[in-house]
Parts: sequence; C-alpha cells; structure tokens
Amino acid sequence: MASVAIEGWADDCATIDEIEDALAELRLRVGRGGVPDLRTSVLTHMAWVPAEWQAAATETLAGLGEQHPSRTLLFFPEPEEGNRLAATVFLECHPLEGDARQLCNEVVELRLGGPRAEAPASIATPLLLPDLPVFLRWRGRPPFRTNEFTQMIAIADRLIVDSAEWPDVPGAYAELEDFFEAAAFSDIAWRRTLPWREALAQRWPERPDRIAGPPAETALLAGWLQSRAGVEVAREHADELAYDDHLAASVLLSEELNVFGRDAVYEAAAQAAARL
Amino acid sequence: MDTQSVETENPLLEGLRLRRTPEPCVLAIFGASGDLTRRKIFPALYSLAVRKLLPEEFGVVGIARTAHTTEEFVAAMEAAVREFARDEFRSDVWDRLASGTRYVTTDFADESGQDEVVMCLNDLDAHAGTRGNRLYYLAVPPTAMPTLVQELGERRTTTGWVRLIVEKPFGRDLASARELNQILASHFTEAEVFRIDHYLGKETVQNLLALRFANGIFEPIWNRQFIDHVQITVAESIGIEGRAGYYEQAGAIRDIFQNHLLQLVALTAMEPPIDFDAESVRNEKVKVLRALSTPNPRFVVRGQYGRGFIEGVEVPGYREEPVVTSDSTTETFVAARLFVDNWRWADTPFYVRTGKRLARRDTTIAIQFKRAPHPPFEDIDTLRSNVLFVHVQPNEGVSLAIGAKVPGEGMRVRNVHMDFLYGGTFRTGLPDAYERLILDTMLGDQTLFTRADEIEEQWSLVDAVVAAWARERPNFLNYAAGTWGPAAAQELVEWHR
Repeated sequence: MASVAIEGWADDCATIDEIEDALAELRLRVGRGGVPDLRTSVLTHMAWVPAEWQAAATETLAGLGEQHPSRTLLFFPEPEEGNRLAATVFLECHPLEGDARQLCNEVVELRLGGPRAEAPASIATPLLLPDLPVFLRWRGRPPFRTNEFTQMIAIADRLIVDSAEWPDVPGAYAELEDFFEAAAFSDIAWRRTLPWREALAQRWPERPDRIAGPPAETALLAGWLQSRAGVEVAREHADELAYDDHLAASVLLSEELNVFGRDAVYEAAAQAAARL
Repeated sequence: MDTQSVETENPLLEGLRLRRTPEPCVLAIFGASGDLTRRKIFPALYSLAVRKLLPEEFGVVGIARTAHTTEEFVAAMEAAVREFARDEFRSDVWDRLASGTRYVTTDFADESGQDEVVMCLNDLDAHAGTRGNRLYYLAVPPTAMPTLVQELGERRTTTGWVRLIVEKPFGRDLASARELNQILASHFTEAEVFRIDHYLGKETVQNLLALRFANGIFEPIWNRQFIDHVQITVAESIGIEGRAGYYEQAGAIRDIFQNHLLQLVALTAMEPPIDFDAESVRNEKVKVLRALSTPNPRFVVRGQYGRGFIEGVEVPGYREEPVVTSDSTTETFVAARLFVDNWRWADTPFYVRTGKRLARRDTTIAIQFKRAPHPPFEDIDTLRSNVLFVHVQPNEGVSLAIGAKVPGEGMRVRNVHMDFLYGGTFRTGLPDAYERLILDTMLGDQTLFTRADEIEEQWSLVDAVVAAWARERPNFLNYAAGTWGPAAAQELVEWHR
C-alpha cells in the first residue's frame, strides 16, 4: 500500500534536542479520523549514504518501514561542506487495512557537513531507540580504517553491506574480516547467492569445476566451496547468476533485517574469497 | 536418512535452511463442490503456489456428487481464487495450478466411482509425476466419513505415502468419535491422520505459544498465584448462514465449544512443552483436557437467540431461520465455568463462551490478574485488575491493561491499554490458517493437528454437559440477536466477583 510522507520539521543548523523535540511533536500528532497514529518499532535502522548512492538508497528504503517498523536515521556525509548538522524529520505513514489508524515510522535525514562527517556516532547515539537492535546499512565500499566507519560499527549490532557495490573484490574481503568480532555482518551479495548455494548443496557430492557470474557473488561462492568442502573452482565473468530468485534490492535488504546472529559460514567464505 | 547424518556427509548444508518444499503429491478433495473448497482450500493452494511452496509435481482432484466437468470446476475455482485469495490474481500461477486440476463426479460409494477416482489419480502420477503420494482431504458430512475412510483404506496401494485431512465435525459424541478413530486406525497409522481444527492454523493462536514461552516475564506469573481467572470468548455476529441442517444436529457445543474453544483452553493452560515437536505439544494439550473437571450444570449456560438487531439491521430469531422448527431446542450459545484440576490452575476459573448472533465477531482470551494487594491511593475503587488480552480475531494482537496516573493534581489512576497490533508490526500479511495447515500436511508435520486422544477427551467433556441438558427443557429464547447472550452467562462471571 502506498505510503504517505508527513512533513515534520527541517533546519539547516539543527541540534539533537531540536530533533528530539520534533520527533516528540510528531508523536502527539492526531492522525486520520481523529485517532493517534500507531507506532511500533522493531529496530533502529541507520543508513550511511555517500552522495553517489543517494538515489539508489532512497529507492531501496521506500516502503521498507512498512515491513520493518523502525526509526530510520539516514546519514548523508558532506565532508566538503561547512561545519553543520542539517536535519529533516518526517513520518512515513502506511494505511492499515480495516483500521482508521496509520502505521507511522520516524525518518530523520541528517546531513553531516565538514568535520561532523567524521564524528557521526555522537549524533547517532542519542537518537537510537532504546533496547532495540541497531542495523547499519553502509552503501558502497566502506572506508574500513576511517573514524566514521569504526565509530558507526561500534554502535551497530549488525552491519549490512553489498559487496557487489565494491570495486575491489575479492581483495576487499581481507579488510572486512578484521571487523567480524566487532559486529555481525550481512552481505546482500551473499544473500543473492542463496539459491545457487541451495542448488549446489542439494546436488552434493556433485562438484562444479567452474562458476560464472558477477565478481562479488562468484568470489563468495568460490570462497564458500573452498572453506566448506575444500573444492576449488574456476571463476568466469557473467552478468547474471546461474540461480537467482530475482528479488528486488529492497526485499533483499528487508530479509537481512530479520537476521541477528553472526554468520560463521559467510565469514569463512569471505576470508577464503580474500585469498583467491 | 536423518538430517544430522545428511549434514555430516554434506558440508554445504551448514548454515543453510533449505526451504521445506513438500514431496510431489496429489491432493484429492472429497466434497469438492462445497463452500470450503471454494472459500478456503483453493485460495490457500493459490497462495501457496504464489510463494512457490507447492511441489513442482502437484495435482488436485476434486471429487463430489455434484455433476461438473473438469473445465467447469476449474472455472469455478478460478472465480473463487479471484474472489477469496489474499494475493492478487496472476494468470501464470493460476494456469500452472489449473493445468494439474481434475474433477470427478461420484459419491465414491460404488465401484465404478472409486475406479474413476483411482484412474484419475494414476493419470496424474503418470503425467504430473506425483509418484503415488496421496493427500486425501475429507470435507464430507460425518455420515459419509466411515464409508469413505474404509474405501480409501481398502484401496490404498504400496506406492508412495498417504495422508488424510479429516474436517470437523469429528463425530457427534464420544462414541461416534471413538468409532471413527477406530476405523481410521484400522487402515491408517496415527501419523497419517490429520484432524483439522483451523483455529490451530491461525497465526495469532500460535502467537499465544510465542507469547507464553518466548517471554520470560509471563510464564512465572502464568498460574493460580497471580491469575484471578481466564475468560475465553469465541463470538460470532453471523447467524447460521443457511446451514440449518448441520446446525440443528450440532448446536454451539459441537460446532465451536468441542473444538475451537477447548483448543484455546488447552493452549492457554498447557505446561511448556520440551520442544515444538508434534508429540510434545499434543502431549501437553491432552494433559489439560484430561484435567478439565466436568462442570457443575449450574455453571453451564445455554441460549438461543431471538429476533434482534445486528449493525442496525433487524435479523430473525433462530427459530425463524429457514428449515429450523418453531420449537427447536438447539443451543446457539454456550457459556461455562471450567476448572483445570492441576497444580498450576487449581481453583482458577476459566470462563468460556461461544455463540451466534452476538454483539460482534470477536475471539479473545482475557487473562485477568489478581488485584494489587494494597494500593496506597485514596481513589482505589476505580483501580482495576491488570488484564492481558490476546485478540485472536479480528484486530489480531495483544493488549495489556495497566493502571496509569492521570496527569494533574492528586493521584488519580486510570486504566490504559498498551497495544501490540499484529498487522501493525509484521506487515507481511497474515497467511490464512488453511495455507499453513495444508502445507504442514504435505510436509507431514502434525503439530497443529488434533490427536485421537485429544478429540476423545474433548468429547468426553461435551457428552457430560449434553447429558445434563437432556434432563431439563431449556428456557429458550433467552437472548436477543446483537447482545452478548443470556443474562445468566454474565452472572456466571459476576458470581465470581
């Protein structure tokens, strides 16, 4: 069902207090039919979105709150800009069938100008919903050794990446493994290989000698076969995966928001992929 | 081969939860011309097909006395799917399901009819690759059930597996239920028999188990020490909807009380099972049913609705319904005070009620906790007990009534509800109960189905109530349509207070 954005408050020079006041104000808002909107949250969803990923991120996030009611914090780093925190606070509301009420999610867009882009955790921490898991979606290739990455991963329970967005796989997996102890990882590229892994598992002990597909997915599959079964396969480039359930990016992300613990099989596959 | 040994041999299985796809099979629906097939079974099959949860090699055979061709049956089911399925109609999905669908006109009572069904099933094996696996859905009247079971048993082959879904009513008393269990047992193993109670397939009913056994805060207080009483309501605002023939034989006690209501009592009162295995769950449920004491007739209220108003529209009384006689003594309402005689629940009343033409459609389990022992406030008369409401339908969810301070001077406390609305949190759309139950049957999972001994315990209680009723003529009509039933039912709970 189509969602409706309800404007709240925006300021080019915001403080956390003002953002919290704006969120509180929206909470008291009277919704459709004179009844308060319904709020249910299952997590805080943060997304770190560099400029080149803004369009794709907006498309993926549209409607995600309907599946996973949450507070969404969108961080747009603008290190080239002046020192400022710009914020927009609004509600994304979804009509509930057979109910006058709407289900509303809080969305906070934060533009971190200048040095603020290097200290995001101090902005994120006071805005996290208490006692709920924190998922961090990092668009593009994470800058693993930077302040912003290490700070954000320290406050997140789970980091969601899509290594298909990285230009330097499989080498980049070597950097990733240093953070396996710090947070649980979801890799959407790994999720994309699930139908293929299921097919290979069902055909075992039949072993493939070559696999063809996009670089990240084939590297992870090869790493998986290596780490699980000691099987070495040749990799070839192809635009399509041999087995694909053709799920939209938003659905793949939505599925990862249901996963909580560490995925030891993925970690071993990524480590093996880094050594290919 | 068990899962563990497969995993040991297959290193690629680690971390994969392979989708549970049923084995190839044919679903043969006996009584396929009925409303259940149109409103529930085919829409459920379609939703399973949309989600790719049906096996690749799958077929459906509709079997009924009503004369139809396969083409007519398929067209009727397509219309039903368009009207009742929860998913948008997709031609590609439907065409695939329809291509494996057949219809046979027979009452299955004669050799030629049986032969025709067998030929049709064999044909699907040959052309759809269903490998002799049979899922028989018995949606036929109770009188037809024994013969059908016997014929199916005698004609079973050694190829593939056989499972039976047996629709309610399962008998009409303890003797007939036992007889049917015996007939089933003489041809099929208990693992092949799936007695359906669609309430168990409802997400919110299963959520009761999640609520109780996944939350550490509830189980310690889920007992006689903290709970004052439990109220379970299965209320319908509809009447008998043209089913007078059936309802006159069943009444509210056989239609709802014996199955849905007692299942809700069992799930509310059961001990934590050691796992979610079918036998573990059903063992605990049957212990509750065994512990239910026969209610004192003074604490059982039956009723029959008279003329009244539903949503502002005048509706006829039960005795004015077509086919129902003007002196019918069939009850359309039952309320009872039950006790579960065990360590956890001794002396804790379970007030249960069900009825037709009540004020609204509502299935709720209300757990009323004991009052705070010594509230240090002046205005304690307005203080009410905490109540945990499990809303099974509609507005599926859970509410907790708590006392909260009214803002302002002094210390006035008012009751407020904290709501968890199921559809507001999990927005994936609740599957229909039949989707879950048909899929579970294909997978051979009996957790959400009723076992033979459970059914017999339920009937044993119902027989005792009915025997007491036989000794006196009821004082009908005793409630108006659109109300909450006879005043005596309300007095049951008030007497407790």
